[in-house]
Amino acid sequence: MDFELNEDQQAIVEAVDRLLAQQAGPARATALGNSDTVEGSYDFALHSALDEAGFSCIARDLAREDGTPAALEAALIVEAVSRAGGVVAAATQLLVAPALLAEPPAGPIALCTRRELEQGTPVRYLAQASTLWVVDEAAVTQHNLEDVAVAPVRTSFGYPMGRIEATGNLHSVGELHNAAADARRWWRVALAVEATGTMQAALNCVVGYLKQRRQFGRAIGSFQAVQHRLSECAIQVEASRWLAREAAYHNAPEEAAAVAAAFALAAADQLFTETHQLSGAIGFTHDFDLHVWSMRLLALRQELDGVGGARRAVVDARWRDATP
Amino acid sequence: MNFNFSSEQLAFRDEVREFLEDYRELDGFYGQGHRWPQVRAFFCAMAERNWLALNWPTEHGGLGLGHVHEYILWNEVARYRAARNPLAAGIVAKSIMRYGTPWQQETYLPPIRRGEMHFSLCYSEPEAGSDLAGLRLKAERDGDHYRINGQKCWQSYAQDMDYLWVLARTGTQESRGRGLSLFIVDKASAGVRVSPIPTVDGDQLNEVFFDDVVVPKAQRVGEENSAWSIIGEALADERHIQFPPGRVRRDLEDMVQWLNTQRMGNDPLVRARMAELAVRVRETEMLGLKVLESMVNASNATVDAAMNKILHTVTCQALARTVLDLGGPEALVYSHQPERLWRQSLTETIGGGTSEIMRSVIARQRLDLEG
Repeated sequence: MDFELNEDQQAIVEAVDRLLAQQAGPARATALGNSDTVEGSYDFALHSALDEAGFSCIARDLAREDGTPAALEAALIVEAVSRAGGVVAAATQLLVAPALLAEPPAGPIALCTRRELEQGTPVRYLAQASTLWVVDEAAVTQHNLEDVAVAPVRTSFGYPMGRIEATGNLHSVGELHNAAADARRWWRVALAVEATGTMQAALNCVVGYLKQRRQFGRAIGSFQAVQHRLSECAIQVEASRWLAREAAYHNAPEEAAAVAAAFALAAADQLFTETHQLSGAIGFTHDFDLHVWSMRLLALRQELDGVGGARRAVVDARWRDATP
Repeated sequence: MNFNFSSEQLAFRDEVREFLEDYRELDGFYGQGHRWPQVRAFFCAMAERNWLALNWPTEHGGLGLGHVHEYILWNEVARYRAARNPLAAGIVAKSIMRYGTPWQQETYLPPIRRGEMHFSLCYSEPEAGSDLAGLRLKAERDGDHYRINGQKCWQSYAQDMDYLWVLARTGTQESRGRGLSLFIVDKASAGVRVSPIPTVDGDQLNEVFFDDVVVPKAQRVGEENSAWSIIGEALADERHIQFPPGRVRRDLEDMVQWLNTQRMGNDPLVRARMAELAVRVRETEMLGLKVLESMVNASNATVDAAMNKILHTVTCQALARTVLDLGGPEALVYSHQPERLWRQSLTETIGGGTSEIMRSVIARQRLDLEG
């Protein structure tokens, strides 16, 4: 057992961090309008850069000999993109898509459940995606969004969102039979990985601030009561990271995927509360970068029925066959 | 022990409710920053009944009623989401009545009572939030005037207010709370600049810059370097109406209604979570009344108020966050009921004294813990 990244994995993380340092970050996320109460936009430039650098298809390119995708490496990249506040559907592209298709479609993919589609629920990246995957009971249906009217949704939760105004024009261009369970497993891993990267960045942002910000003649971060709360946050992030990576490493077993999502999405709530409370008033302003990550944590908690859905999946995975 | 309002007080509550029926759609409690002219008109309408001066002494033109009436009034106003209680008629006016000169009382109290003059509280600074005694805005004596230089930060609604209630340093930096004075500053004075700080909820806070602002000595309230006790007393005057539980009760009612419109009201899990919140709302109401009771009996309400502030604000946030969770992605849409409630509750545990400061007050003054 060894939790350290090997040399190749380390090189991948360093390379993607270099790219993200140039092409992503809080200023870029804010400039794209996803931090305001407006319809934000998608970072197509970053999407292309990740494609061109070969990161988007890393799961396939580094696949194991038996053909299973290199999901851990993909997870490391998604975690890095989330830390950098990237506004791209990397989680779907790198983690969900390779598990369902050998040759996933190009361009952003949006992901929703059948119920969400029927209810016209807002979906992340839908307004900019070229493909929509609808997760049904058993199958995943694939839709081309080119001729479909999608209304952008005004929100302040850090991601661009949209909803389909009329499903009349939405035609399936393919059905992935019996893929729904796989999609849900990988979707949960993706959420856990995204939440981990996002929480880490939020915590880093606030810890840095509290080391500098002085009240009562000393740095706020030097108060024991503050340190204890930040330490609790660090524990949550650390546990989320290893649960998410383990789930990816084992190719998203049902229970591990559900546990990773249930833990990370619950931790996201705590991280939101504590990072904002400890930052004080500046935490709610656009002058401070915390909002770039913190608001997203709440958005991630809404997907795939959130913490409740993930917890129900844990129960299903563990006790489905148990007789009462 | 008596937990009831008197029949006269209940009749007053009914009168307030009848008045507020015309303002059901005002939405000034959450939306003051976007509809100040309407909120201002609402205050003028209240002033026609002299309700802004409800518990001012009659010699200052008030009705001379007590804390209970004031609580009932602002609790109902909060429950109708009409407005937050204006600082001018509360903290500012009560300080002027207690410490102001006859000229200040004649000049400022009548327009405040009529709802025509409004103030923004200028206490916090970039480096002085929870540690208010460390503030640096300097007011230097220059004959019959003071010259004020420096910066304030995090002022709510300063963009709309007429006057500033400014806490400034007149002593040395080392004198901390013993070196502060209070000033009334016309926002239109030369050298005053209000700059917005956009916030993540689509609203704004403000920075207020003072560049050699000349303020007549006559606009200093109280003795020089005596402001610390003045602002403490003013805060104590307002404890029973700062966090009225009517707001939380209304939040609960609105959230239950929203869940019903989403056809979630019959879900047992949803019902269980809302039941937990309903209990917390009741706790909030009881602590709100406990603060009032301490005020009525002239007890020190500091600890009661700190407890109430924490429970009230945390319950607001818990309500909003729970419904945000239950509502799924739909609840993230801007201005939908849960999203709006969530947005409005974001800063509640920070503004008006952070939860951390409140906990320290409880630890020191109720539990006798050192530190």
